[in-house]
Amino acid sequence: MELKEIKCESCGHVNPPGTQLCQSCGNMINSDYDKNKIKDLMRYDGSAVRSKTRSKSIFDKIWIFFTSVKIGVSIILAIAVAAAIGTIFPQEYFIPLGVDPAEYYQENYGTLGYLYYSLGFHNLYSSWWFLVLNGLLALSIIAASIDRGIPLFKSLNKQRVKKHDSFFRRQRLFLNTERPADTSSLIDAFSKKRYKVRKEGDNYLLEKGRLSRYGPYINHTGLIILLFGSMLRFFPGMYVDEIVHINEGETEELPTTEGQYFVRNEAFTLDTYDEEAGEVFDQALSNNRMVISNFQTDITFYKNNSADIVGSSPDLEEIDEYSIRVNHPYRFGDYELYQSSYDNSQLKSMTFRLEDENGNTVGDNFTVNLNDPEESFEVADGVSVNMRAYSPDFLEIDDNGTLVSATPVPRNPAFVFEVADGEESELSLLQIMNSTDITQDNDYSIRFVEAEEHMASVLTLKKDLTIPFIATGFIIFLIGLFTGSYINHRRIWIRTDGNLLLAAHTNKNYFGMKREINEVLESNGLEAVNDKLDDGDKDKNKE
Amino acid sequence: MASQLVSISSTLLYAAFILYLVAMLPLATSIKSKSNKPAKIAITMVVIGFILQVSYFILRWIAQGHAPVSNMYEFITMFAIMIIGGYLITYFYFKTRLFGLFALPVSMLLMAYGSMFSREVEPLIPALQSSWLAIHVITVTLAYGILSMSAVAGLIYLLKAVPADEKSWRARFLEAVMAGIVTVLVFIATTVLMQNVIGYQDDFLYQDKQGQNQIAEYHLPSLVNFEGAVPVEHAGENNYEEAEHFHSGVNLPPLIDSQKLNTVIWSFLLGLIVYGIVRLILRKRIIATLKPWSNRADLNLMDEIGYRSVIIGFPIFALGGIFFAAIWAQIAWSRFWGWDPKETWAFITFMFYTVFLHLRLNRGYEGEKSAWLAIIGFLLILFNLIAINLLVAGLHSYA
Repeated sequence: MELKEIKCESCGHVNPPGTQLCQSCGNMINSDYDKNKIKDLMRYDGSAVRSKTRSKSIFDKIWIFFTSVKIGVSIILAIAVAAAIGTIFPQEYFIPLGVDPAEYYQENYGTLGYLYYSLGFHNLYSSWWFLVLNGLLALSIIAASIDRGIPLFKSLNKQRVKKHDSFFRRQRLFLNTERPADTSSLIDAFSKKRYKVRKEGDNYLLEKGRLSRYGPYINHTGLIILLFGSMLRFFPGMYVDEIVHINEGETEELPTTEGQYFVRNEAFTLDTYDEEAGEVFDQALSNNRMVISNFQTDITFYKNNSADIVGSSPDLEEIDEYSIRVNHPYRFGDYELYQSSYDNSQLKSMTFRLEDENGNTVGDNFTVNLNDPEESFEVADGVSVNMRAYSPDFLEIDDNGTLVSATPVPRNPAFVFEVADGEESELSLLQIMNSTDITQDNDYSIRFVEAEEHMASVLTLKKDLTIPFIATGFIIFLIGLFTGSYINHRRIWIRTDGNLLLAAHTNKNYFGMKREINEVLESNGLEAVNDKLDDGDKDKNKE
Repeated sequence: MASQLVSISSTLLYAAFILYLVAMLPLATSIKSKSNKPAKIAITMVVIGFILQVSYFILRWIAQGHAPVSNMYEFITMFAIMIIGGYLITYFYFKTRLFGLFALPVSMLLMAYGSMFSREVEPLIPALQSSWLAIHVITVTLAYGILSMSAVAGLIYLLKAVPADEKSWRARFLEAVMAGIVTVLVFIATTVLMQNVIGYQDDFLYQDKQGQNQIAEYHLPSLVNFEGAVPVEHAGENNYEEAEHFHSGVNLPPLIDSQKLNTVIWSFLLGLIVYGIVRLILRKRIIATLKPWSNRADLNLMDEIGYRSVIIGFPIFALGGIFFAAIWAQIAWSRFWGWDPKETWAFITFMFYTVFLHLRLNRGYEGEKSAWLAIIGFLLILFNLIAINLLVAGLHSYA
């Protein structure tokens, strides 16, 4: 392809290299384009698209690569296929917490699961190659939009009213008929249909809905903002996602707030539907089926007035009270607190009683607070139980006889109790469902009575400063999408020297445009427009 | 009172189904008839049917206090209603008679399939208690209804454009689509017959992945079963005793839901047999039998409808299926996007229609190519609507 400016033989206008239709009169000046791909030459108004014009330098070649629709579509398909692969097995964040993923995938999904894990598909959406694909998509969108958008914008902005004969004949909707006595009523009828009218001598250009042509470029801009916004998450301080575990009745500092905010869990409620839900639900709730109706944490929200003073104890000021429920998070500053789940696996306290050799209870029961156990319990006059060792989450007894705890969380407590009645002292080890005497021939035994669990609410603390970018990007995308899809760009060219020549173009919905034009033509006593597509069919039928 | 409303609403839905079935007759006559009368009768019946369906929707909403879009039955029914809605819009804009002959059966098939699921009125779990439930699901199903029209147009286009006895892949694929529809019909018929009419039920006791004891209720003879499954019989309350049931002897690990697989295998087997019988009776391909009906179609108009449905439906899908969905996910689950399987497949559907539009606008994919893409798009929608909820456990598994 030659890189020379093209002078229109008909009107003398000088067009940039690669132009197909003269940008002034619409005469075909260059028919060197791929007719299979470009069904409608008017898509970019026959203007010169850079990627279709220049192919010499390396930059040209890179440009052609990224502006290619084939490449763009391939990238989109690759992202879609990758996304689909990610749903074959659950992603890592959906598997139970604290489980070794290598084992989990092998155990649950066999060899395929192992392969899935080895290839890194268990973290597919945050993998480097998935991000690279999205980056390539962004480049493709930017390049393609600039490549086609700018020539289209120039072409539409500079368009002339007067068009070449061949331009008329090339349009899909075309009419060549005897000129009516009064053409102004025809033009008026179109302007009533909200067409903007431009006139040059005997030539008219009627146009509406040009904005529709810019829809794709608006929505691409939105997508670029969105993709940019989603990258912002990698910057520190933009994104916080923390689990806050608060036992009922306790107050916890909110992480990442630098000790500024505290939350107290006043009460956690879990409600299920009962008969009062309404008789319509009777059938669904029969057979003792439990359906949860509400998860709720009543919180008191505090601000710490001494947060700035290093080493000082918190000085909490009550700010707010709120009931956090699913779908009703608590908002403060840039943060939100969500009801995530609950945890009743932690024990709060255990109650025991002391039994003598005859099986009679001695004195009162005693209760051990598992988070902060007392050292000694006076059970009866002169009889006391002393705690000699305690392990909240019992693992084993080590060599020197102390109890080893797996975690500091009271899930599986074990105790060494000493019973002293003034005469002798006996030692015994107590675990859940088990008790072992340490000293010989014990008279007393300690029996488990009951345990109380902590009801902890699990809240999610969230801060996401990328949301405004992503939301703005998507809203712009939607505006562009609706603009491009729901508005039609319609243009009608009319020439009234000699016969009445009329040609019409729209970027889509010829069906609707034909109806609109024919309505106007009919009311002016003119025949209907010819649709080349219909004529083509008729010819085929004849064959 | 509210329970009565529910049963009235179900009756209305049933009446609509019957009405559509009857409307097929005047619809078929209208295509070859010169008079306008059959077409008018048919469209009047469809409009009445649609009003009945909308009434079902409103009454059920009033009765249960939340929009009836919260489980598989309600969701698929909503989709079927929206397909009728999409058809009515298409009909009144393009005035094509032929279209209903293909759009109505698609909707009826979905209605029948939806009724396979539990039709009980259920209270909402906390995550669903939000006005976004109605907003999100109604916009998504509206988009689905409109996007489905492109598949219907595509189907008609291909039936006319593809020579029925051609020895080519395109003809075989189109015939495979027909065989698929036969299989779905056979599945629905067998399920209704075995479960509701005959009442066939074999219970098996097995251990699931977590090692918990579970009971699988087989409504079709067991061809595949869970590893270590024991045939049992219900003996009141939560007690089961060992019994004798038919079983082929094939057992699979608990990773695979053998019960669902059993139904799938039966559907395919019976579907294939029924398809074979149909072929024997017809002595030609199904597409050859349907061809005379599609011959009056205007190919350019079908292509136009196919494209228009996508550009009208796609933005609504982006709004309801991505944007509203993201807002709600942020409120309910604390993140606007989390690559949950359902979200991911909505994203894939979105990407697919993006590809559709780019290929059509910039690479000349019009006519037949565009028609195939429209059908693939519809299959993606069905996959996300049904398969994902049933096969993959995620946050959207409400059925």
